[in-house]
Amino acid sequence: MSSNKEDGGWKKFVWNSEKGEFCGRTGGSWFKILGFYLIFYSFLAGLFVGTIQCLLLTLSDYKPTWQDRVAPPGLSHTPRSDKSELAFNLNDLETYLPYTKAMRDFLSMYDEDKQRDQMKYEDCGDEPTEYKYRGDLNSDVGVRKACRFQRSLLGPCSGIEDREFGFKEGKPCLIVKLNRIVNFVPRPPSSNDSIPEAAQYKVRPNVIPIFCTNRREEDAGKIGEVKYYGIGEGFPLQYYPYYSKVLHPQYLQPLVAIQFVNVTMNTELRIECKVFGENIGYSEKDKFQGRFELKLQVTNL
Amino acid sequence: MGYGRSDSYRVATTTEKDEKESPKKADTKAEKKIKDMDDLKKEVPLTEHKMSVEEVCQKYSTDIVQGLTNAKAAEYLARDGPNALTPPPTTPEWVKFCRQLFGGFSILLWTGAILCFLAYAIQAATEDEPAGDNLYLGIVLSAVVIITGCFSYFQEAKSSKIMESFKNMVPQQALVIREGEKMQINAEEVVAGDLVEVKGGDRIPADLRIVSSHGCKVDNSSLTGESEPQTRSPDCTHDNPLETRNVAFFSTNCVEGTARGIVVCTGDRTVMGRIATLTSGLESGKTPIAKEIEHFIHLITGVAVFLGITFFILAVCLGYTWLEAVIFLIGIIVANVPEGLLATVTVCLTLTAKRMARKNCLVKNLEAVETLGSTSTICSDKTGTLTQNRMTVAHMWFDNQIHEADTTEDQSGASFDKSSETWLALARVAALCNRAQFKAAQDQLPILKRDVAGDASESALLKCIELSCGSVKQMREKNKKVAEIPFNSTNKYQLSVHETENEEDNRYLLVMKGAPERILDRCSTILIQGKEQPMDEEMKDAFQNAYMELGGLGERVLGFCHLLMPEDQYPKGFAFDCDDVNFTTENLCFVGLMSMIDPPRAAVPDAVGKCRSAGIKVIMVTGDHPITAKAIAKGVGIISEGNETVEDIASRLNIPVSQVNPRDAKACVIHGTDLKDLSQEQMDDILRNHTEIVFARTSPQQKLIIVEGCQRQVRHTQTDGAIVAVTGDGVNDSPALKKADIGVAMGISGSDVSKQAADMILLDDNFASIVTGVEEGRLIFDNLKKSIAYTLTSNIPEITPFLFFILVNIPLPLGTITILCIDLGTDMVPAISLAYEAAESDIMKRQPRNPTRDKLVNERLISIAYGQIGMIQALGGFFSYFVILAENGFLPSLLVGIRLNWDDRSNNDLEDSYGQQWTYEQRKIVEYTCHTAFFVSIVVVQWADVIICKTRRNSVFQQGMRNKILIFGLFEETALAAFLSYTPGMDVALRMYPLKPSWWFCAFPYSFLIFVYDEIRKLILRRNPGGWVEKETYY
Repeated sequence: MSSNKEDGGWKKFVWNSEKGEFCGRTGGSWFKILGFYLIFYSFLAGLFVGTIQCLLLTLSDYKPTWQDRVAPPGLSHTPRSDKSELAFNLNDLETYLPYTKAMRDFLSMYDEDKQRDQMKYEDCGDEPTEYKYRGDLNSDVGVRKACRFQRSLLGPCSGIEDREFGFKEGKPCLIVKLNRIVNFVPRPPSSNDSIPEAAQYKVRPNVIPIFCTNRREEDAGKIGEVKYYGIGEGFPLQYYPYYSKVLHPQYLQPLVAIQFVNVTMNTELRIECKVFGENIGYSEKDKFQGRFELKLQVTNL
Repeated sequence: MGYGRSDSYRVATTTEKDEKESPKKADTKAEKKIKDMDDLKKEVPLTEHKMSVEEVCQKYSTDIVQGLTNAKAAEYLARDGPNALTPPPTTPEWVKFCRQLFGGFSILLWTGAILCFLAYAIQAATEDEPAGDNLYLGIVLSAVVIITGCFSYFQEAKSSKIMESFKNMVPQQALVIREGEKMQINAEEVVAGDLVEVKGGDRIPADLRIVSSHGCKVDNSSLTGESEPQTRSPDCTHDNPLETRNVAFFSTNCVEGTARGIVVCTGDRTVMGRIATLTSGLESGKTPIAKEIEHFIHLITGVAVFLGITFFILAVCLGYTWLEAVIFLIGIIVANVPEGLLATVTVCLTLTAKRMARKNCLVKNLEAVETLGSTSTICSDKTGTLTQNRMTVAHMWFDNQIHEADTTEDQSGASFDKSSETWLALARVAALCNRAQFKAAQDQLPILKRDVAGDASESALLKCIELSCGSVKQMREKNKKVAEIPFNSTNKYQLSVHETENEEDNRYLLVMKGAPERILDRCSTILIQGKEQPMDEEMKDAFQNAYMELGGLGERVLGFCHLLMPEDQYPKGFAFDCDDVNFTTENLCFVGLMSMIDPPRAAVPDAVGKCRSAGIKVIMVTGDHPITAKAIAKGVGIISEGNETVEDIASRLNIPVSQVNPRDAKACVIHGTDLKDLSQEQMDDILRNHTEIVFARTSPQQKLIIVEGCQRQVRHTQTDGAIVAVTGDGVNDSPALKKADIGVAMGISGSDVSKQAADMILLDDNFASIVTGVEEGRLIFDNLKKSIAYTLTSNIPEITPFLFFILVNIPLPLGTITILCIDLGTDMVPAISLAYEAAESDIMKRQPRNPTRDKLVNERLISIAYGQIGMIQALGGFFSYFVILAENGFLPSLLVGIRLNWDDRSNNDLEDSYGQQWTYEQRKIVEYTCHTAFFVSIVVVQWADVIICKTRRNSVFQQGMRNKILIFGLFEETALAAFLSYTPGMDVALRMYPLKPSWWFCAFPYSFLIFVYDEIRKLILRRNPGGWVEKETYY
């Protein structure tokens, strides 16, 4: 494709024995041009590394320069759903094993024995309280302590007693977390205006409430009771703010477990879970910002 | 009229020698062509001119008085078809359109588009939610090709529309006599055997054998190029049908008089028809720029395929699936296609074509714009192109002295002493013995611009006298004509008798002009300083010398004499009988000589000089006489001062021509008849060893042979031939025009057939316009290089993101849409603006480019654009990319290998370097912001690129920033980039996001580096000519 000269020309081009040329150049010529490019590219590489170093110098170790794209925070859940679908047959272990495994893996971070070190962890209480500030980001306090979060707070969804997180009984659990953002403090809703009536019972002080309901009208009533486990059945404020990976290496974000205890079987249900707060926003495009949607189908046949 | 020399004219379409020559034409050209040419020659045995009128009548079963019967005419019409030239097989419009759509560069884009659709099809078949990118890209690529195709198609259609306006669409009428009745019929219905009557102003409807004539003259210029009207009479004067007087040719014009003739050939069988058929049978090769583009495509595809395959192998090694690797392969190949380049090149060529049209060069075919620039030989016609196509009095001889007349177009030349009485006498003879007159209602026009009824020599005299002595009309009114003997070829003089101006003087004045030697024979005295003196031997010698000298200048010389007739012999009221001459025509008083020439155009010598300094060989090819041709060639500098022909050397050294070493003569004048006897080797030898060549008395075939000979001329022992331009106006030139790399026809005097065959038309018929064409052609070639270098450079920052995406699994730094925004958006105006760039040095002082060595796009250009500048640009882009990701939390070290998680839709808590968690959508927005920033960075580095591309050798500081379009382009691309980034809704439409102001500056250092790097490179290039830097980087 590159050259449709006749074959002889090709061969001669690749190796011209008369002039001692390989691909149209003599050895010396190749040496010179390759040498030039070697030096030129080394120089460019050096320059590039230099500018990247300059860039790194301008960055803070604790906080990214811009956070306008990461906030407001996303609401993510474990197990992850492929294309927002969570479908399983409670009689078939294979169908929900990936989910329960993901949950066990995730929750292993919250194992009690990992939170024993008193130098790194402290108790922040089982009831929602105020924000727990640990000094300015840039102060020389160094590494900050993290609040403990016991798995047991998640009740039946903690995986301690029920290793299958209710999947076996057709009462699946979901573990929900508000995405970490450095130095971000979520503010609870100040008024009830922005919250749907059904969710208003969840509003209480020092908690970012979370509420799940049917997405579609026709699914109304099919979802059944939804149980919430966790401190204040939401995200308690004492776990905020987060002091970045460097300053807060042991940080455990608060979790909420959601259990669908009376879900209609063999139907695809559209569920939407939403957190409410002053500085929590939603986006038409981003289906995981402050909320998420889930297609849940539990089969018992 | 042919005083002073024979007016026979050979159009050697037909001589027997041509026929002998054709087997010798050991050309490897297709047999068909030789057959065509043979065919053309066979046809000419037109024998009717040798037959008697009766024989002709018999042959066509017609009658000399009654004409054909209507029935017979209808029969012939049915047999021969209409009397019209078969139009050249016009390519249907859709074929032309498809040629634009699929020709040259478009192929590359189509291939790209097809690959895109293929990739999309693969993705659609294997993935549930295929990314639309490949589909969009394919659609955009197709759209680009179709739009540019339409654009060039309409551009071409516009030129051909101008062409059509040249055509005389009025249906021709012919006056035929059938069954004894005169009838006006459509010229198309004329059949062989028809008795046709033509009069002054008519177009000859078919090839006619003249049977009777009354002062009929025809203008054969469209056939032979010679504009001098020729007499037609019933007698056969030459064996060659083209030279005999008793044949008038189809589509030539009858200038004056009337004639009656029998149609012998109609339509395509006419001489004109044969030439037209030959012309349309010739194939013209690819234009140089088309070859260049082909070469360019080879290079680009070479690079693309090399990269694609390399990365295909790498991708497979890295553990991608085969399918993914194939999609990568296609992606890389497509990314190498410069989407905007086709449009850029088309627009650049169009702009130049427009500029040339303003300077009177109309380009029919866009690609031909550049051809003149690479031309190394111009074969120019003489009449009308180099000369004014207007006989003008150049010299006079009276009072035993040669006086020079002003021949310039604007009368700025030297004048002569007009006070001599001899001059007044000469002027009177010239004015009175002259049948030419100005056409009516032209008093406002300058004398030289006025139209004259009459033949060229007489018009020249008329204008000359009108200019120097005032109104000729008044002079004629004062000297009433009482008798006249018009010119005929046996007397070779013209005579008239007038009353004198002086009322009291009852004598008659006899004035005569004609061939000088005939006039001299009739003279016994000569007028010197107003006094009659006997004509002695000394005077006769002086006359001979003057005659020889003027004749040697290639001028047509006329002698003038007069006589005041003695009153006693010719009293007032004497009945002069012109048929049976009853008055003296001997013992006259010789007044002087006047010589005329078709003088060179004022701008031509300068233009020829420019061509010569531009390394272009100018060859004159004319049907005219060698002496005239040589004189004009010397006048315009085609034979430069001090250069001699073999004959000149021989006469200077007084030795026979055969003893002169032909190598000593730089110039040569070759006669058409000699040309026939030359073998191809001899022809090549002449073309190679003489720098200044004039071909005289050439026929259409010979013009063709000359053009082919020139095209064979190899320079620097390379394989490719020279690029030859041919100018011409007559039908006889059209085969050569077609064969030439670029045929240049004349807009005013040119025949339709020649315009059809040509690639370019000089609207003002002026050779000097060709120089403009050469200059523009060379400039556009240089500027196209720059434009392509500019456009190609941004290919590297466009493709490297994809490569790194594959190789090190980073989030994609630059998306397809943004690439298209660069190629078809921001890069366009600056790339086009480079077409407006002024030349770096005097382009008319260097040699024509060598088509084998000086390529439009060569390895050095690729090396610079891809290997050096492009790499710096890519770094600039990547730097912005890393800045944005780092400032948002993703440090460079984290990015490597993050791709799988990054592009995982279900992963909505991806951790960055600070421990923050990102949803898919959030990080995609950052990614698209990176695309935008990368895009903006490319714009920023392209600022520097367009500035460095302004020059190939000079510093920008030498070149200056005077290109306003380029400055506009800089602002335009910046504004467009800002618009794309900040306009609300762009996030949805093009996935472009607003940038923080500081991100605009990321690429600035790289932009600056590009500028400095290239300035240093060019500095070394200038300081060290021929050095390594030049060899490796001068494109």
